[in-house]
Amino acid sequence: MPLLEPPKKYQLARLVLIQEIRGLLVSPALWIMLIIVSLLVGYSFFQAVDLFSQASRTALSFPEMASGMNPLEGIFVPTFGAYYLSQTLLLPFVAIRLIGLDKQSGALKLLLQLPLSTLSLCGLKITAIGLVWLISLLPAALALILWHNLGGHIYPPEIAILVAGHGLYSLTVISIAMFASTISDSLPTAAMFCLAVTLGSWVLDFAASGQSGFLGTLGNLSLTGMLRQFENGLLSTAYVASFLSLALFFFLLTAIWLHPGQRLFLKIGKSFAGLLVLCIVVSSTVLAPQYMDVTENQRHSFNPADSRALQTLNKPLTITINLDPQDSRLLDLEQDVLAKLRRSVPKLNVTYAQIKSAGLFSASENDNYGLIQYEYGGRHDQSYSNSQNEILPIIYNLVGLQVVPDSMPTYRGHPLAIEATGSRWLFYIFLPLLFFCAAVYGRKGKW
Amino acid sequence: MDKNLTEQQTHELSVIGIQKRFGTYQALSDVSFTVTPGEILGLIGPNGSGKSTLLECITGLLPVESGTIKWQGRQLSVENRKHVLWYQPDNILPFAEQQVTTTLSFFQHIHGQGRMDIDQLINRLELSPMLEKPLKALSKGYRRRVLLAIALLSRQPLLMLDEPFDGFDLRQSLAVMDLLRDCRANRTMILSIHQLTEAEKICDRFLLLDQGRVLAIGTLDELRKQTGLSSNATLEEVFLAIT
Repeated sequence: MPLLEPPKKYQLARLVLIQEIRGLLVSPALWIMLIIVSLLVGYSFFQAVDLFSQASRTALSFPEMASGMNPLEGIFVPTFGAYYLSQTLLLPFVAIRLIGLDKQSGALKLLLQLPLSTLSLCGLKITAIGLVWLISLLPAALALILWHNLGGHIYPPEIAILVAGHGLYSLTVISIAMFASTISDSLPTAAMFCLAVTLGSWVLDFAASGQSGFLGTLGNLSLTGMLRQFENGLLSTAYVASFLSLALFFFLLTAIWLHPGQRLFLKIGKSFAGLLVLCIVVSSTVLAPQYMDVTENQRHSFNPADSRALQTLNKPLTITINLDPQDSRLLDLEQDVLAKLRRSVPKLNVTYAQIKSAGLFSASENDNYGLIQYEYGGRHDQSYSNSQNEILPIIYNLVGLQVVPDSMPTYRGHPLAIEATGSRWLFYIFLPLLFFCAAVYGRKGKW
Repeated sequence: MDKNLTEQQTHELSVIGIQKRFGTYQALSDVSFTVTPGEILGLIGPNGSGKSTLLECITGLLPVESGTIKWQGRQLSVENRKHVLWYQPDNILPFAEQQVTTTLSFFQHIHGQGRMDIDQLINRLELSPMLEKPLKALSKGYRRRVLLAIALLSRQPLLMLDEPFDGFDLRQSLAVMDLLRDCRANRTMILSIHQLTEAEKICDRFLLLDQGRVLAIGTLDELRKQTGLSSNATLEEVFLAIT
């Protein structure tokens, strides 16, 4: 009897993809997650609108305060905060079913016999959950529509980067969950493994908040820390590549370890090769990152004329900071000036002097406490200021530059004082009911 | 005549020197056998003798320490086995939350135009009343029928079934045997069976496995001769004599 021709790969892939999507849609875990997301998004959104409205009432009376009223920080980041919770705590339970349930039910033994590589099979599984993840954006889309209808301002690039950040975070969590279920014998073990990573990342970020040095760097590289960059409206190739590499690494590990027919030493060898590639990709992007400030008020950037001038500095600029790492002045300096300088000055050395604050009312042990020293091309200057309006002239003076700022439109903010209570039923009744009906339909195996 | 050509014509599947260990436990020791086209080979052995392990090693779902699998005289890589054989494991419940009709339809489309018509299969296995129900809601007997339907929808020339009669009563077992006999015209089968009465009724040859070792292989008559039993000795008596 002749060997049978294998079915066409794309047809097979389409069928498996549909089957995977169907498998997710009949899962009660997905619909429970969506119901919780609806409630959380609704709660976060209305809380944010209330607070934003309260602040806006003051800002409308004092126009100089209005520039601080931007919807990204005031409305969208808190609203999407609900997604962070669900992606950290609930999404792993949905994602581990992709492989864990197939392993438990024996379906995996059948799927692995299909003329598809394990890489393709894993790719189809992650595509399926990616498509299903889009359903979870329904509450956020509803919040955006509602905000727009209430007269709120939306700046699409800010929303796009926020959604992209949550998408990358979800992708990474899904990959970790898939790998966890691949190497675990049971679904609860896989869930514990995945939650250990996501919650561990959360704890790490919390512990590292406000810290500099190694812990601070580690906190920035935690999943939560990386997501925060997107919430800030700053698109960085380093963070995009880190998220993608991490997701790809766990995805590859899943594909390597999924097939029980492969020998252990082969799996270990391939895993190390994957780790090596990950390290190369991450280090190459972290060492030469590119940034794009997508915020409407360009708050992560100097004036374009300043940025251009700072990029021309061909000698090292050294800044020595005599501040305690816990000092709030250092935190302001980091956010408002140093972060921008790091993205603009080609050769910047920032040194933190080992110095401790003696407290607000005590005499400092060091007379230099609070002093920030600058050195460029053998010329020195110093100041106690942490404001960019005073620091930039000091640097230009050292370099010998005259910079005339480009004329930029003044950001006036988008204050809005409104009441949105009438639409609460959409998040608290309509969407949960919709998802509940879908779950009941799915329980009958009808998807 | 060329020796290889002869082997190619008479042996569809050749399993040569399979060794499998789980840690220090030797699950399969130098297992070798061949299967001829259209034949039904019964893997017979007590629980834990290595029947399922052997089938999973042949499929490539378990790695082997050593051994070769050949198809029509040509060595088969794990990837190529997917085109040649289909293995239906025991005790599985694939896509349990989905309706039976959805699962059957998925496998029908996966295999394309299968060797058996799906409607005919549903009728023969009396699955019609269960089509709208999720697999997990079915009784053990119906679950086995659905699994058998999934296996028979496959189009690979070699079909390996693990305990296909487990969970069936006598009447159902006979019906399933009839169905399998109808398929044998264009398929080769390896059935792992621990119920010797059923095995005797359907298999052409038997491979007796115990503690991962092949104790004997042959037709019932050949096994009777090997053990010196009379020509009316049952497979059960032969098995007891060998083990």
